[in-house]
Amino acid sequence: MGRDASNYAYVNARVRSRWAALLDEEDYRTLMRMGPAEIARFLEESEYQTEIDELASRHTGVDLVEYALNRNLAKHCEDLLSWAEGRMDDLLTRYLRKFDAWNVKTALRGVYSETDAATIETDFIRAGELDERTLAQLGEVNDVGEAVDVLADTIFGEPLAAAYGDFEESGSLVPLENATDRAFYEHLLKGLGAATDSGTREFVKFLQAEIDFRNVRNAFRLARSGADLDPAEYYIEGGRLFSASELNSLVGQRDELITRLRDSSYGDELDAALEEIEVEGGSLIAFEHALDAALLSYSDHLSHIFPLSVCPALAYVLAKEREVDNIRAIARGREVGLSEEEIEEELVIL
Amino acid sequence: MFEITVAFANALASLAGFTDLALAEINGDFATGLAALGVGIAALGAGVAEGGIGAAAVGAIAEDEDFFGVGLLFTVLPETLVILALVVIFIV
Repeated sequence: MGRDASNYAYVNARVRSRWAALLDEEDYRTLMRMGPAEIARFLEESEYQTEIDELASRHTGVDLVEYALNRNLAKHCEDLLSWAEGRMDDLLTRYLRKFDAWNVKTALRGVYSETDAATIETDFIRAGELDERTLAQLGEVNDVGEAVDVLADTIFGEPLAAAYGDFEESGSLVPLENATDRAFYEHLLKGLGAATDSGTREFVKFLQAEIDFRNVRNAFRLARSGADLDPAEYYIEGGRLFSASELNSLVGQRDELITRLRDSSYGDELDAALEEIEVEGGSLIAFEHALDAALLSYSDHLSHIFPLSVCPALAYVLAKEREVDNIRAIARGREVGLSEEEIEEELVIL
Repeated sequence: MFEITVAFANALASLAGFTDLALAEINGDFATGLAALGVGIAALGAGVAEGGIGAAAVGAIAEDEDFFGVGLLFTVLPETLVILALVVIFIV
């Protein structure tokens, strides 16, 4: 425990308590048998009560559920930031920029598909660093170029401006989205390189895992797509598992990639996921869900080893995100009439 | 820190003021002084432990008030350390 002003004990006690309030498998099963209106009612009697009540007058059905979920997620993240002090606050702020990246991508996609400002704004998750004004501006811009200009002063400004040429050339959002993600990950670990104090060391460990998992996912996606894309374009620095050149060579050799992962320090967690993909033609979606579950279980593992660190809070953010995704998948799935089995395949349950 | 100072003052006062007392008695006072010092250090340790537990307990109570009883119990648990240290005073 470092001698900085971080109040790990206080924050993590609160986080643990909220962790216990997350839905479990039984709740998901109940939800899967409900229609959208019933799901909203179920949520109204749970953790999400305030948000559902606030939004019920303006939205109905699945939209109501989705907006309530986003707002609840944002509330929890804000709570985390308001509790944390000292070093922990700094580390959490860095991590929660992930929602900035999400918002930027939402805005870009919205503007690109010419969605109106109000719709874009309701899709923002207000948990990051971008302030209300910037977000409002982002919602109102007329084309992608203006959106990039609005973001000029943020950490996304430079990478987006650099990727804008590619966007104009190809007309696809992929370079911009990729630039956003990479800007986020690069800033995460920036200045933490020589992490000596213990609080930071655990933060780095947690993020290395997240980056590694993202690289693994990208590697398999690239291997599957068979397209002649340069893996280095999608590689995120900072992980422990691969270097850029290693990933480059492994993308072409699926079996070696799988063996490599099995022998890595994430082997135990990744076992289930690798079984999904090992059979030729195994489902990539199932693999990615198993990968999510593996990351969740690894983060849980880290937060048990380092109870007095930033890990439990980060793991909670991950778990909460998964819950929000799960409920959204159930609600959307029920709306379009998927069967229970089909929905269950979409869920990530630990 | 107060306890430590008092314990030291006790020990020193007994050494300085009562030099005409029998050697055995001085030794006894000195031992009591050190024992008092021990209690002080134990209290310090308990304080450090209670700081973290107290913060966590308040956090848990903020989320769920039912935790009050258990939280209080856990917060004062390190206090047993001081009680045990106090016993030493009576046996020197």
